[in-house]
Amino acid sequence: MQFTDIFRSLASRPRSSTKGPLDVDDAPLASPLSPQTNRLSASQHASPRISTPQARSPSRPTAAAPPSSSSDAPLTSKDFSFLLKPEIYHQISPLSIPAPFRTPSRQPAPETPIPDLLSSGHFRAAAIAAVQALTSSPVSATTAAAHPPADPTDHARIFELLYTRLACLCLIDAVPLAAQEAKALEDLNSAFYLDPLSGAHLVPWELRTLAVRLQTIGFGDPRGAVMSYYELAREARAEIAKAGRAHDHSAAEVWKRRLAELGVKVTGALVEMDDLASAAEHLASLPEKGGGRLATSRALLWLHLGDVEAATRCVRDGQAGETGARVVGALADMADGEYVAALGKWQALQAEMEQNGVRDEMVGVNLAVCLLYTGQMPEGRDILEGLAEAGLTSHTLLFNLTTMYELCTERAKGLKVKLAERVADMQPSAQGWEKTNGDFKL
Amino acid sequence: MSHQRYPSIDPKEPHSVSLKVLRLSRPSLVVQHPLIAPLSAPSDHATPIPASLAYTATSDTNPDSFLLTPILNLPPSFGSAYIGETFSCTLCANHEVTPSIESLSATTPSTPKSPQLTPAQPPPKKKFTRDVRIEAEMKTPGSSAVQKLPLLPADPAPPGGSPGGVGTDLDPGQTLQKIVNFDLKEEGNHVLAVTVSYYEATETSGRTRTFRKLYQFICKGSLIVRTKVGALPAAAGGGGGGAVSGEGKNGEGRGEGRRWVMEAQLENCSEDVMQLERVGLDLEQGLRYRDCNWDVSGSSKPVLHPGEVEQCCFVVEEVADKGSLVVEDGRIAFGVLGIGWRGEMGNKGFLSTGKLGTRA
Repeated sequence: MQFTDIFRSLASRPRSSTKGPLDVDDAPLASPLSPQTNRLSASQHASPRISTPQARSPSRPTAAAPPSSSSDAPLTSKDFSFLLKPEIYHQISPLSIPAPFRTPSRQPAPETPIPDLLSSGHFRAAAIAAVQALTSSPVSATTAAAHPPADPTDHARIFELLYTRLACLCLIDAVPLAAQEAKALEDLNSAFYLDPLSGAHLVPWELRTLAVRLQTIGFGDPRGAVMSYYELAREARAEIAKAGRAHDHSAAEVWKRRLAELGVKVTGALVEMDDLASAAEHLASLPEKGGGRLATSRALLWLHLGDVEAATRCVRDGQAGETGARVVGALADMADGEYVAALGKWQALQAEMEQNGVRDEMVGVNLAVCLLYTGQMPEGRDILEGLAEAGLTSHTLLFNLTTMYELCTERAKGLKVKLAERVADMQPSAQGWEKTNGDFKL
Repeated sequence: MSHQRYPSIDPKEPHSVSLKVLRLSRPSLVVQHPLIAPLSAPSDHATPIPASLAYTATSDTNPDSFLLTPILNLPPSFGSAYIGETFSCTLCANHEVTPSIESLSATTPSTPKSPQLTPAQPPPKKKFTRDVRIEAEMKTPGSSAVQKLPLLPADPAPPGGSPGGVGTDLDPGQTLQKIVNFDLKEEGNHVLAVTVSYYEATETSGRTRTFRKLYQFICKGSLIVRTKVGALPAAAGGGGGGAVSGEGKNGEGRGEGRRWVMEAQLENCSEDVMQLERVGLDLEQGLRYRDCNWDVSGSSKPVLHPGEVEQCCFVVEEVADKGSLVVEDGRIAFGVLGIGWRGEMGNKGFLSTGKLGTRA
């Protein structure tokens, strides 16, 4: 990924509608969802595009890889201003959000601090606020106070904001945007991102792993994800050894957990590449860390591939726990087209969970799906409505419910809009509050 | 699946029953990309942020660092239809609650049964939708006649044992749901024709109304099968004696123990990944075969991506005491090759070839 690639991608993406600083359109308070246009345009005017000095660019492995170049860099003043350029960041269109969520009274105030936005599930607002801080383009003095601009050398804060931005974009189903924006990080394996003294990586682990996935999408190189995860795994192994030598057990545990997660992520990357046989083989090679999660994962992968026998084998002998085995059993029946048998299993599981005070959205949703496949859609619809009423609003639940709306009337739009209103009326929580039109098939 | 609606018999008045359909391919497992909460302390990094997970649960059914989850999504679109698969579709006849019905009947004399309406507006005459029936037929490219399809669940049988089921009465907002299953065997245009009939009654009169909707879709080939038969030297102790090379060179050698090798190349010509489940021969009398494929070698079942080919092999043997071989038009008939596979989330496919054989 060369600097020129970045440049090309920026040039090729459709430009956001640009307004001058005098095109006041100054209704940021009246329409709190659209001021992003102003923010970006204002900042573009204030700081015209400066080409990043080549020596500082992490994009050139030739310059960055040898130790000589990194040792030349000043110790504390690595300049990350290339991540603060407004043209990296996209506008998030509020048009993909159903009207009931766009009501100003339901939207958070622009000066709400980012942690509060996150804890109340306002991920779109958090993504916008993170960019305001990154690009020093607040809409007003109050937002400037709430989201103070990031200093180009304050790498910790820059990466924190960038992770917030990218993670929130993923949470609001704007992965393609996140994938474009993650390109700005360029090569995270470059020595530019290392602390010149300690050699430690300056970028937090969660941002590095997220960037692997996003850059894979952004650069259209699915196989690259597997390689990058292996790079990270090599580092994790080295860190485990280092922590072991230093008798630092907690650090060793952290790195062991990360290594195990990378193994699972590689499987996921292979699944996304549709290389299911390799994914199954890889997953089979990973050691079970207890709790039967890997056994369940293996079974799900086989079901996805269509091998019901192999899936059932994975959860035999209590490897995935009793509930895990029952879930896989019911899914296996559905994979075999035995929907009536599966229906009985889901009903039994639901009754039992209810008795034990366990809440599981999946069991209710799958039960409803089974009801549709056995010709009892109205009952299925009632179950999904009940779950939504109880505050459960996963993409899957809303999608399945609106699909049933489409089946039970020619005028499903009214029902969908009503559902959107009910969901918008719910108390915002960290679970995520705002939904997209796609969730309601609007 | 494109569809068109036949003009109803009485085009002036809209139907109070609508028909909606959804192809019931297998539901799919939902994917998730677990994320660590932004701005969180490193100690919280062991568990992903709930909003990044596919569903909410206090149980541990979600393997929450993995991409695939057990929660199921209904099919988002029609997808592709392939030979060898079973086409399933749900048909929903809905008694629509429509404002147009109210306005249409607004001029009719008032009945005392609508207390919720304001006095200024004359209450609509109550309409009943009775005896709703759905019928489905499939028109395949190969035959000029249509095939009537059985519907599930079956209508309750009428009292007195007369043929056909009874229809269903629907209150406003109620749905009659049926499911059709149809084994796809031909390539090309298929038309699913659905007829809905019902008796629309007011308190003073009634009439039977009918409408029909056509849903057209294209069925494509899923698997290309190429076969080749070659003669093998007869098994030891057989009457055939010497080595025989080439195909069908053993002419009149009617001794027992003749053997052939049958190779089959299976090419996935669909757009989906398939896993071969069972490949086997269904042989004519006097023959038996030995499988030389993954089961024998103990390997896993082959997974075929679009465009990939799997080579299979069988040894076909003559069994003398089981009667003479079937010879048609100078060819020894072997039988047919059956191939079963599974697609995403277990979607089943099966097809068998035409009669295979070799020159006698």
